[in-house]
Formats: sequence, structure tokens, C-alpha cells
Amino acid sequence: MQLPPDMRPKLSSRARLQTDKVTGKPIVLYPEGVLMLNPTGHAIVSLCTGNDTFQEIVAKLAARYQKTTEEISPQVAEYLNRLRERNLLEMRDEKPKK
Amino acid sequence: MNSRAPRPFTLLAEITHRCPLHCPYCSNPLQLASVADELKTQDWQRVLREAADLGVLHVGFSGGEPLQRADLVQLVATARESGLYSNLITSSLGLDSQRLDELKQAGLDSIQISFQSDEEPLADKIAGTSAHRKKLEAARLVRDFGFPLTINTVLHRYNIERLEQIILFAESLGAERLELANTQYYGWAFKNRASLLPTRSQIERATQIATAAKKRLLGKMELLFVVPDYYSDRPKPCMNGWGQKYLTVNPVGEVLPCPTAHEIKSLRFDNVREKSLGWIWTESEAFNRFRGTEWLPQPCHDCEFRKVDFGGCRCQAALITGDPSATDPTCQFSPQRQMLTDFVEGSQGNGNTSLGEPDKLIFRQNAKR
Repeated sequence: MQLPPDMRPKLSSRARLQTDKVTGKPIVLYPEGVLMLNPTGHAIVSLCTGNDTFQEIVAKLAARYQKTTEEISPQVAEYLNRLRERNLLEMRDEKPKK
Repeated sequence: MNSRAPRPFTLLAEITHRCPLHCPYCSNPLQLASVADELKTQDWQRVLREAADLGVLHVGFSGGEPLQRADLVQLVATARESGLYSNLITSSLGLDSQRLDELKQAGLDSIQISFQSDEEPLADKIAGTSAHRKKLEAARLVRDFGFPLTINTVLHRYNIERLEQIILFAESLGAERLELANTQYYGWAFKNRASLLPTRSQIERATQIATAAKKRLLGKMELLFVVPDYYSDRPKPCMNGWGQKYLTVNPVGEVLPCPTAHEIKSLRFDNVREKSLGWIWTESEAFNRFRGTEWLPQPCHDCEFRKVDFGGCRCQAALITGDPSATDPTCQFSPQRQMLTDFVEGSQGNGNTSLGEPDKLIFRQNAKR
């Protein structure tokens, strides 16, 4: 699936990001499933708030990990696509109204 | 802690056996628990907290019909406080806006509604009561309240030919997940298996439809369809292994490694009224009896698939071979596979796919109060 660069991914309302009691690590819970997040996954998921476009998310991550956007863009897209295939991402085309 | 006991992830809380429906495919035991024997609110709250402490992440409130318990909202609130992701597994009868509002406030995460078919006459015939119209209304309310909705339809000879329509129906209700669950032949369903088992051509057609729909709906609606055991060469990896990830607490407080473990008459199940959930999970005889792969009989013990399916389903082995530690007879390598094959072949002729003679089916009845 193609990720439209100007869409704003938001973690689906069916999913919940929380800290696992046993491991102390971040997890995403959703109906009948769980994702155990590594630090990179956690960084990506935390930015899926519906505020930032895909391009903005990539830019923020590039700054944090001191990489170029070209380097990390394919990996971020792949990760987001995996979330999308599990129906865990909503794609917004504009910022949520305050 | 017993080093053989891994972390459990899912708790099925069967909070009551009471149910307004009478589905002949129900996998509840034939001996249903009466309301007087059900666990009290504080017992369930303790079970939920202990489950979360053990590492459980998901709780399914099920039954019977969980809405029959007046304290459901309280139990959902306790689940949320304990960090559990909660799912209400319901017929939806009794689910009105007031109840939905309370459940939302209490922190319920998702709702799964059973539909017996996509069309009213057939659905009501299978449910043994007039329910379909109320379910439709409830499903719409569930979406209005913003809950993620799963539709579950149990498939059998009488509704499997409507698979295409059932999928469209689930889409039209805004479901995010559709479980097309082939009947599991335990409890009431086992009694009715000669009438319920689909024919081979029905299964082949259904598999094609489900495979195409799964592809079409990727990223929109998650679709689950598994070929039923009786038509498969390999057993299902039941519960991902006995005592590995999953536990059920039944209405009276017995803790079971799978919801149908009552089929194994030689096992004794410890009760949360007497022991902690943690002790039962790690130490009890019932959970350790078939845990891991060391206990496996031949041909499983030396089989290359032993860590794929763990010898299959213990309840099925008990029901069909009389020995719960036998290889699951659905497996092509089981010495008893022929028994099942003979049954499957013998049922092909029962081509009647209308419910014209419902007296053949035994409908589920609640326990006497």
C-alpha cells in the first residue's frame, strides 16, 4: 500500500498505547492482539497523533536519530504500512480541529 | 514460580451461563451453571486483578450472555483499572444506549456481537428466538458510541452458503473485524455435529470466498476464516499450546486451560474460590498435565510438527477417541483419523441445507434455577 505523504497518520481508536506491567516496555493493545514495541517503534507510534503528516514524522525522527530523511523514510513507511495492514492507523487529511 | 509456566496473555471471563439464545452450535457444556452457583462481584474483581499481575493483557467478558450480569459495568471498570484491554463478547440482547454509555464510561475497549446469519428468518431460526432485529439495532448503537466492532458468525451447514452476503453485511455494519468461525464441535455442538457439519463442496466454496474477501478488505476489515478441523489434515495449534498463553474462568470459578476443557472428564479443575489464579496457572495439575511437549504420545513425540500444533486439541482427542492424551484425531498421522474420516464421509449425503426439519437439532437450554 502507498502512504500518501501529506496524510496525517493517527493511531486508531481501537488501539491503546500503554506500558507493559511485566516488562516495563511500551505496548500497543488492540482487539485480539498486541504489539511489543522496540524504542524505534515506540518513537514512530508516539508521533502518530493525527497532527503530523508522514513527511513531518520522518523529519522529526531524522532529527532525533541524526539521520537524513532519505535514509529513514523507507523504514518508517514500512513500519506504518504494517500498522495500517492491521487496521491500526487512521489516515487524516487535515489537522484535528481544536 | 514453576519454570515451565510461561506468561499468560488472555483471560476469557465466562461470567454467566445464562443466555437468551438457544443456538444448537453452542460449545458451552451440557451441564450449565445456575445463577446461584455463579461467582460474586468481588471474586471476579480479584480474578481480574490477579490476571493482570500475572501478565494478562486481554480480557474477554463472555458466557452465556455477559449482559445478564448486573455487575458487568463494575467488572469492566476493574479490568480497565488493572490495565487490561477488555472485549465484550455478546449476543447484544439487552445492549441499549444507557448500558453502552455506562460501559464506555467504565472503559470498555471493544465489542463483539454474534450474528447467526445476515437475514432475519434464518438467523432467528438458528438462535431459537426472535433476536436478529434487536441485534441490528444494537450493532448500530455500538458504532454510534465509537466502539470498535467485531462481528462473529458461527458457520455450519445452514448458513455457510450465505458467506458472501454475511461478509457484505458485516461491512455494512461498519465492523472492523469479522470472525467467520466454523463450528467447534464441543458441548451442544458435538451433540448436533451430524446436522451441523458442512459438506466438502460447501467448505471449498466458502474457502474461495473468504480468501478473496480477505484480500479485498486488507486494511479495512480484518477477516478470519479457518478451515474446520474435520476437513483439515493437520490439527489446530489449540490455544497455542495447553497452558501457554490462555486461561478461562467459568461462571462457578473453575479455571480451565481452554473454554471446552470440561470435555475432559478425568481432569479436576481448581477453583478461584480456593486458590489464587497464579497458583492455578503455574502449579495446578490441570494446567501442567498437557503443558509443553514432553507428555506427547506417538506419533506426535517424534513428529516434526510437534512445536507447530502441540498434538492438537485435547478436548477433541477426549471426545472422539476417549483418551485426552491421544493425538488429535483430525491429524492425518493419527491412528484414529479414519473414525473422523468415516464420520465426514457419512455426513456428505445429508445434503439438506434448509432448516426445514429443525427437530433434528437440539437447541441449547439454560439451567433450571
